[in-house]
Amino acid sequence: MSWKYLNKKAVSKERMYDVLLSPVITEKATLGGENNQISFKVATTATKPEIKAAVEGLFDVKVRSVNTLVVKGKTKRHRGRIGQRSDWKKAVVRLVEGDSIDVTTGL
Amino acid sequence: MQVDETKNEGLSRVYSVTLTANEIGERIDARLGEVGSTVRVPGFRPGKVPLSVLRQRYGKAVMGEVLEKAVTETSQEVLDERELRPAVQPKIEISSFDEGQDLVYTINVDLMPEITPMDFSKLELTRLKASASDAEVDDALDRLAKDFRNSEPLKKARAAKEGDLVVIDFVGKIDGEAFDGGSAEGHRLELGSNTFIPGFEEQLVGAKKGDEVEVKVAFPENYGAENLAGKDAVFDVKVNEIEEYVDTVIDDAFATNMGLESLDQLKGHLRERIEADYGNVARGRLKRDLLDKLHEGHEFEVPEGMVESEFEQIWTQYERAKAAGETDPEDEGKSEDDIKEEYRTIAKRRVMLGMLLSEVGRVNEISVGQDEVNRAIVQEAQKYPGQEQQVLEFYQNNPQANASLRAPLMEDKVIDFIIEMAQVTDKEVSAEELMKDPDEDGAPAKKAASKKSGAKKASAKKSAAKKAGAKKAAAKKDAD
Repeated sequence: MSWKYLNKKAVSKERMYDVLLSPVITEKATLGGENNQISFKVATTATKPEIKAAVEGLFDVKVRSVNTLVVKGKTKRHRGRIGQRSDWKKAVVRLVEGDSIDVTTGL
Repeated sequence: MQVDETKNEGLSRVYSVTLTANEIGERIDARLGEVGSTVRVPGFRPGKVPLSVLRQRYGKAVMGEVLEKAVTETSQEVLDERELRPAVQPKIEISSFDEGQDLVYTINVDLMPEITPMDFSKLELTRLKASASDAEVDDALDRLAKDFRNSEPLKKARAAKEGDLVVIDFVGKIDGEAFDGGSAEGHRLELGSNTFIPGFEEQLVGAKKGDEVEVKVAFPENYGAENLAGKDAVFDVKVNEIEEYVDTVIDDAFATNMGLESLDQLKGHLRERIEADYGNVARGRLKRDLLDKLHEGHEFEVPEGMVESEFEQIWTQYERAKAAGETDPEDEGKSEDDIKEEYRTIAKRRVMLGMLLSEVGRVNEISVGQDEVNRAIVQEAQKYPGQEQQVLEFYQNNPQANASLRAPLMEDKVIDFIIEMAQVTDKEVSAEELMKDPDEDGAPAKKAASKKSGAKKASAKKSAAKKAGAKKAAAKKDAD
């Protein structure tokens, strides 16, 4: 295990805002609503505990679980030159039953 | 939807309508659903956007639209339910609304009064008829001939006299310097026509062909070009030719010149034209007469709001005329209140007649077709030679202007309809009698009569023109 998981410091307010970048609003993400799941775009360096702390801290809800995945940037050609879109991390946060966030209103 | 009648007085009604937040919410959701099926939101396939997302993105935009629609729909519903016929567009005022709150608005409506048209067949009207006398035709012919007269160089050399045409070259100088626009060559100037600065033409009287004359004149103080006004100028004038007018001989040749076959035909044309003019005047008289009778024959309540707006229109016109210094001599010495009172009666009369005519038109299903409007547009366009295209376009792109043409057409048709039913007796009169203003004796009556009502919209402009026309005619008569 890497040191970043062992280094358990309380997550500061600033870090919370750095961790959560924006909600993900897509068809697929809204499907998660049935399971009380909300998707966020988060910093690539963010860890699950950090995300959990950030969501709980900023939205005043209880988080049941956090799943993360890294969305690989696509290779795109522009005028024949190959470019690489940045990777980004998506976190699917499942809230405790009864809690909810209106993601559409933004942070 | 909850409707309360808060006022029921005469012809005016006020309703206060409440739409609950729920009803509005439903309408908004329905509208959002429609929007959602077409709109593209990133992250969603078209038609798959959830309502919550739509609401957040388009809620505000849809809200205004939905509110407007809801208000018009429900207000129409209110009117329909109560079988009310509004005389004018109902005034709708939203008194309170907030998101998630009930919408409360008031409808302020003036009802169409119950109009029972009188029995038109009992109307007795006199149609004046005047035929053009030979003398009038000859007069017209003379005038025509004068417009087409030719000038010829003098056969026997003599000094120029008033009425002659001189062909001159001139150079105008101020302080010995030629100035812009003060020179010309081969200019044809009719002496005594007063087309030049005062004094110029007079000094040429007596000049002979080939003479060089120095004309000294002073530009008037109020001359158009500022740099010249009030200055003394010297014109070096050379008289190249003196011509005199030759009266055109009125004969068949003259008629052929005009593109006709014979003098008789020309006379016939002139007579027709004069008689058509008389016909128009006669029709105007008949119409005015009819309107007067209709006004007398009907009594119904008139919506206050319409009278007020009509009055406002007249009043702004009056104010404008006053500002331009074109006050009516009759109005002098009257207090503003008196004048206002007078115009108010006129406004009431106009509204009343307008409503009556439109009612008659409605009941008898008289309508104006698009082709008739088009014809009117073309006629209108012909009044502005060279700009026909613009005029046509103006009317095509401007429904309001279109309506302003439609209104008088409609009015005419209804009037024709009534005249047809009425008992009209023809009466031969002389031309003078026809042209005489029938209302000359009573000033207030004249005003009321000369300002007849148009069918609502066009009335303002038109009747203003009419009024001016009638007044002018009267003034002319007086002068004569």
